[in-house]
Amino acid sequence: MNSRILLFTFFLLNQTLAFGQTVISGKVFDEKGMPLPGANVFIKGSFDGTSSDVLGAFEFQSTETGDQLLVVRMMGYKSQDLPIHLSQSKLEIPDINLVEEFNEMNTVTISAGAMEASDEKKSVILRPLDIVTTPSAMGDIVGAFQTLPGTSTVGNDGRLFVRGGDASEVGIYIDGMRVGNAYGTTAGNVPTRTRFNPNLFKGTFFSTGGYSAEYGQALSSALALNTKDLAVRSQGDLSIMSVGGGYAHTLANEKRSISISGNIFDLKPYQNLIKQDFDWERAPYGLDLEVAAQHKLNNGGLIKVLARTETGGMKLWQPLPGIEGKGILVDLTNNYSYAQTNWRKAYDNGWTLFGGYSFSHNKDFISYDDLDIERKNNLSHIKFSAIKDFSDRISSKTGVEYFIHDYSETLVEEDLDRSFGEREAYLFTEWDWYLSKKFVLRGGLRAGHSQLSEEQWLDPRASLAYKLSDSGTLSLATGRFHQLPVDNFRVLNPELKNSASNHLILNYLYQNEGITFRAETFYKSYDNLVTFEGLPQFPQNLRNEGKGFAKGFDVFFRDQKTFKNTDYWVTYSYVDSKRSYNQFETQVQPDFAPKHNFSVVVKHFIVPLKSQLGASYSFNDGYTFTDPNLPGEMNSKTTAYQNLSISWSYLPKPNLIIHAAVTNVFGNENIFGYAFAQNPNEQGKFESLPIGQPAPRFLFLGIFLTLSKDKNANQLNNL
Amino acid sequence: MKKSLFTFALSLMWITLAFAADPAYENAMKKQISAMKTIQTVEESQAVTNGFIRIAEAKPEEWLPLYYAAYLQTVAAFRFEVDKDQYFDQAMELVTKADKIAPNNSEITALKGYVIMGKLSVDPMSRGQEMSPLAMQTFGKAIALDKENPRATTLMAQMELGMAQFFGSGPEKACGLARVGLELFAKEEAEIDENYLLPTWGKREADQIAAQCK
Repeated sequence: MNSRILLFTFFLLNQTLAFGQTVISGKVFDEKGMPLPGANVFIKGSFDGTSSDVLGAFEFQSTETGDQLLVVRMMGYKSQDLPIHLSQSKLEIPDINLVEEFNEMNTVTISAGAMEASDEKKSVILRPLDIVTTPSAMGDIVGAFQTLPGTSTVGNDGRLFVRGGDASEVGIYIDGMRVGNAYGTTAGNVPTRTRFNPNLFKGTFFSTGGYSAEYGQALSSALALNTKDLAVRSQGDLSIMSVGGGYAHTLANEKRSISISGNIFDLKPYQNLIKQDFDWERAPYGLDLEVAAQHKLNNGGLIKVLARTETGGMKLWQPLPGIEGKGILVDLTNNYSYAQTNWRKAYDNGWTLFGGYSFSHNKDFISYDDLDIERKNNLSHIKFSAIKDFSDRISSKTGVEYFIHDYSETLVEEDLDRSFGEREAYLFTEWDWYLSKKFVLRGGLRAGHSQLSEEQWLDPRASLAYKLSDSGTLSLATGRFHQLPVDNFRVLNPELKNSASNHLILNYLYQNEGITFRAETFYKSYDNLVTFEGLPQFPQNLRNEGKGFAKGFDVFFRDQKTFKNTDYWVTYSYVDSKRSYNQFETQVQPDFAPKHNFSVVVKHFIVPLKSQLGASYSFNDGYTFTDPNLPGEMNSKTTAYQNLSISWSYLPKPNLIIHAAVTNVFGNENIFGYAFAQNPNEQGKFESLPIGQPAPRFLFLGIFLTLSKDKNANQLNNL
Repeated sequence: MKKSLFTFALSLMWITLAFAADPAYENAMKKQISAMKTIQTVEESQAVTNGFIRIAEAKPEEWLPLYYAAYLQTVAAFRFEVDKDQYFDQAMELVTKADKIAPNNSEITALKGYVIMGKLSVDPMSRGQEMSPLAMQTFGKAIALDKENPRATTLMAQMELGMAQFFGSGPEKACGLARVGLELFAKEEAEIDENYLLPTWGKREADQIAAQCK
């Protein structure tokens, strides 16, 4: 009996297979009702299906029966699974409307105050390679950013100065972790560089204001550097330069990679050949050792480790105005270590978790005339953050941070010391809301607590962007920013509070096939800046009573299209900044904030010569200084600053690069200010000495050889 | 008696169903593979890609339909006026899926290298540094997995030719590889019959490289 029923069922089934065909038809549209051609329409789990035609229409036959799922899928749109019932010979599906998926490529990006250097993302201003091939940069990350809008070159300092802000107002981060003492320690008026080699990083995010709630303790700017992921191959990199040399060895497989490098630099042989304007007793030298490791976990997480230790120093005579002779002997040695590790994992449910720890240790030993000073700074940063994508329209990032910061200064002979210990805690959250593909709102909040200054504060931040056309975007950013005073002020008065700044930025960005145009205007207020009495060397009665503002605009134009094998960018920044700070009783234009800043960078690749030629030119209208022979503060200005640098990179073989560069080709005598005698001479005049460049020009020659099984590997990123 | 008859009928049914599943797959594949050869427009390419994706959805244990879908997306990105990055990204997604089904497959690895080469070609100046070694390495791996794979050798030849042009050196290495590729294609051709589903493309590319070697 049973078997008969089963046999019957079997035949029935066979019949269905043969005759039970259904013709399924319908139309696929987008949200606006425009037909979508090329959508994939099929019955889930079967071979039955088709693609929609030019009118969005589809029609196909299916031998399936009963309850089924009709899947409609198209690249860039959200898939739809429609339950259908197949029983008749014809089935007409009501119109299907697919909703476009928001992703990084098709949505607007907030570009106010933001400049990104990356290979991957859109709205980038520079590529990582551009940094190393900018002639005036000499391989320094910060040097390349000095050709970007919103920055000014301060040649006797070398650090990054953003929109009328002091260099200490720029916070530097590696993989989201704060870097303490990111610049090499230097003697007064000897320019410094960032300690970190550009080839460590795959991308850079440079903000000139109005930046994310993820970053704090930086009144002007955040510079976020992101380290590379897994190295692609094992190789050795040898470099021989006019100022030193180094070797890096990388071991890599698909799961992990490690790179160990050692470098030595010494300007002594170079300075013996080329006459210097500074009176060096011992030319700058340094030794460093660096390890970078990446490890891919089986569950999809990635762990990175970066550690660096270095030692270096210099010794030079600094002349005193109004006094005959060599002046004062400054002898400086520096030991620095930085280590950080971080872990990141993206989960399928929309969560991305991040945890990191970084530690910077800096020790300076400075002998100034007969005064021996030892300076120690330790900074630990612990951070956890979580990103959640609630949908393709709403996402949030929330995190918690803790800083342990210990600073001390010792007068060795006198056995006097002073120090402070600081603990800071932060909580931040930031929400992105895409109202449409063209319009995004971002709101953030950052709360901070300082144990030392016994202060709590709250920084709201907000920005929005609107896409005006396919190539043009308008964005607006505003926010409040807090920063505790610099270490050498806090150690004198631990009760100093945060300085504060409000930013308002309006930005227009146009990007279209090799052309980038960017215009930005800003207003920034400063409050509670540190002021003191007496000379900057011996400040007294430090207090948070200074205030000021910076306003201006900048334009940037980059063209990689018009001329073959040529890439150039032009930048002009106007900054009108005044503040009462340090010893200044009135609001003055700071010496680090020239009004007119202009730069051009041109790179041209000559294929038959296998060479890239580069030139960069910078100009600003001069630096303010106080001439005590005249009434008032900051009553004078130096002559304009000009620098033309050129470079030549030659690739005779794929794994060999020869790079030569000269800064300030015309030997322009740039003056960054004047040092005045403390007392007037017999004629009642304060005598002065100009603060100039270490030498009219700097020449660089380097040979970079890559040893690898892959003969085409080279060190383009190490220049 | 009745019972054994039923068992026989039932087992027959199972056998029929088990065998029936494969011809359906094979026929579906053959249909798309033959449609693939006549693609003229991006719309046609999309339709065939969709066909392969449908097969992949119905037969999640097969790598070949995903492979073909990825291959078509890659070719479309090179051939037609489309958002190249988007197409290459989707191709990479499909290749990665295929790779999960059949790890260490020379064909899939070679195609992965092809997609990387495509991504590189969108912005060679800034992506070359990172991606050209990756592409080379992937082609190297594909050759190591199967020395008889003519596509792995041909793609490596194409990459070598590009490098030689960029650095202004001679095309000897690329030419040697292309020659080997053509020999392998000749060998492969002997095996191809109407039921052959595995990839056979690439001879034209090898010919093009070889043509530059005279």
